[in-house]
Amino acid sequence: MTGGRATFGRALLAAYAGVVIFFMCLPILVVVPMSFSSAKSLRFPPPGWSLRWYGSFFKDDRWLDASVNSLVLAFLASTLSLILGTLAAYAIVRGRFPGKRLIESNFMAPMILPPIITAIALFIFYARLDVLGTFGGLIVAHTVLAAPYVVLLMTIAIQSFDIRIEQVALTLGASKLQMLTRVMMPNLVPSALAAWIFAFIISFDEVIVTMFLSGRYFTIPKRMFAQLMEQINPTITAIATLLILFSIVTVGMVGLLMHRAGLLKPRIGDARADVR
Amino acid sequence: MTLASPTASGPARPVARRWSFTRPTEVTRILPLFILVVLCFDVPLLVALGWSVRDPKGPDPTLRHYIDFTTSPIYLPVVWRTIELAAIVTGFCAILGYPLALWITRLSAGRQLVAIGLVIIPFWISILVRTYAWIVILGNAGVVNRTLKELGLIEKSIPFLYNELGVAIGMVNVLLPFMVLPIYAAMLRVDSRLLHVAATLGASSFSIFWRVFFPITLPALSATMALVFILSLGFYITPAILGGGKVPLIANMMDMFINRLPRWELASAVAMTLLLVTLLLYAGYQWLRSRTPA
Repeated sequence: MTGGRATFGRALLAAYAGVVIFFMCLPILVVVPMSFSSAKSLRFPPPGWSLRWYGSFFKDDRWLDASVNSLVLAFLASTLSLILGTLAAYAIVRGRFPGKRLIESNFMAPMILPPIITAIALFIFYARLDVLGTFGGLIVAHTVLAAPYVVLLMTIAIQSFDIRIEQVALTLGASKLQMLTRVMMPNLVPSALAAWIFAFIISFDEVIVTMFLSGRYFTIPKRMFAQLMEQINPTITAIATLLILFSIVTVGMVGLLMHRAGLLKPRIGDARADVR
Repeated sequence: MTLASPTASGPARPVARRWSFTRPTEVTRILPLFILVVLCFDVPLLVALGWSVRDPKGPDPTLRHYIDFTTSPIYLPVVWRTIELAAIVTGFCAILGYPLALWITRLSAGRQLVAIGLVIIPFWISILVRTYAWIVILGNAGVVNRTLKELGLIEKSIPFLYNELGVAIGMVNVLLPFMVLPIYAAMLRVDSRLLHVAATLGASSFSIFWRVFFPITLPALSATMALVFILSLGFYITPAILGGGKVPLIANMMDMFINRLPRWELASAVAMTLLLVTLLLYAGYQWLRSRTPA
């Protein structure tokens, strides 16, 4: 019988997949317990438990300063990229104009290129304009980096929003503005929120471009990188755990929002859904 | 059917009216982002292109910076190491990622969500956090070495870190989600009727996989490998932290040209070369993707 062999094959595949998933999640499984360690060394499992590394994070002005910078920067860059990206996505989906594909690819380019290329180009450009190390320059750079994700998500969201609903609203006498604010926007809010969070995370996690352009400004990733290069300090495990928590909360929110917006449907569960 | 897809095959008359009605507003909507991207992305790249052919001694453009780094005995090994490491990392991502994606597609819908969640969460966590953890795991006094010592398998610590092995492990860990998610999506699109037909015709599950399923998903696998390869060429953080300065890749070399040596011309030349390679690989990726069954 081939049945026995097939079952064996399936068990082997499951074991293999389990090991790979374990490998992927291993960093999280190690960092989180480490952050509650009482020891100064990087022993795992920790010899005892304490909250001292969280204490040393919240007491350190340099880390708090970096947190404020990161949050303000990510908030402004993601908001800007949401506004510009949504407008552009609407034009891409509904508009017809020459060079549309080219413009769309241009918008996607900062997402595809290795960030080191963007970092070097912007470094030289900013240096020549004498805006290197300004907070404004950082906001602009992060907006350019986050915008592709907004354009991508909002293009899908607007595409899946039936154009006939827009047309009906207009036929029934709604002005273009009324149609946008009363019909289109309420429907796009979940997707827009998901795109905003996505853009926020992109900016919040950005390291390379930030390191080249930020001058004396420190963000959380930049401070982490600087610390990692000089000495191993368990405070980083506390920040890392807070960031992991932050990521899990946001990925959950995005998942929920995208599910509500119907963006997940063709992907998960029903394989036939997008064959139509 | 025409009603179902108004944008694609709608009647010509309303479309023509929409065109004249919406055209000016669509352009104004796309303009803000367009101006931003041109001014703060395209122009800087062109400026870097200009610097890459700039002759510090004269007004004429020169290719010597390109020749400099492609013939230099110091810089060329870094380029080769990057390409070699990127290839190894891409290969391992495929070997680990493809079976995982396959396994996920065979789970029930609810379990698929959980498994995909486990793949996506590391994907969202800062690359710094994920890289840092490997110091704890692979260090000389790390989890792996201590466990092996306690089991009596080794006497001296195995040096995982600050060499190519450590960098490769860290890179594979960071890049695996980029491999798993697109392949998983492509596997879901495989028409299960084909597999049924093959089974009905008496094919064993082994030959169904190798002669039907694998060939169908091969374009998606190669496309994703091209994408992962592009991403590994630009890695900066992982080699800096897990390589401890001993395994510099192209991106670390570029950093040195900007921040330590000040040789902007050379940094620009490397950036432009990497840009060209990335665009070529990306074109290959798009071509492979177009061959994937939709």
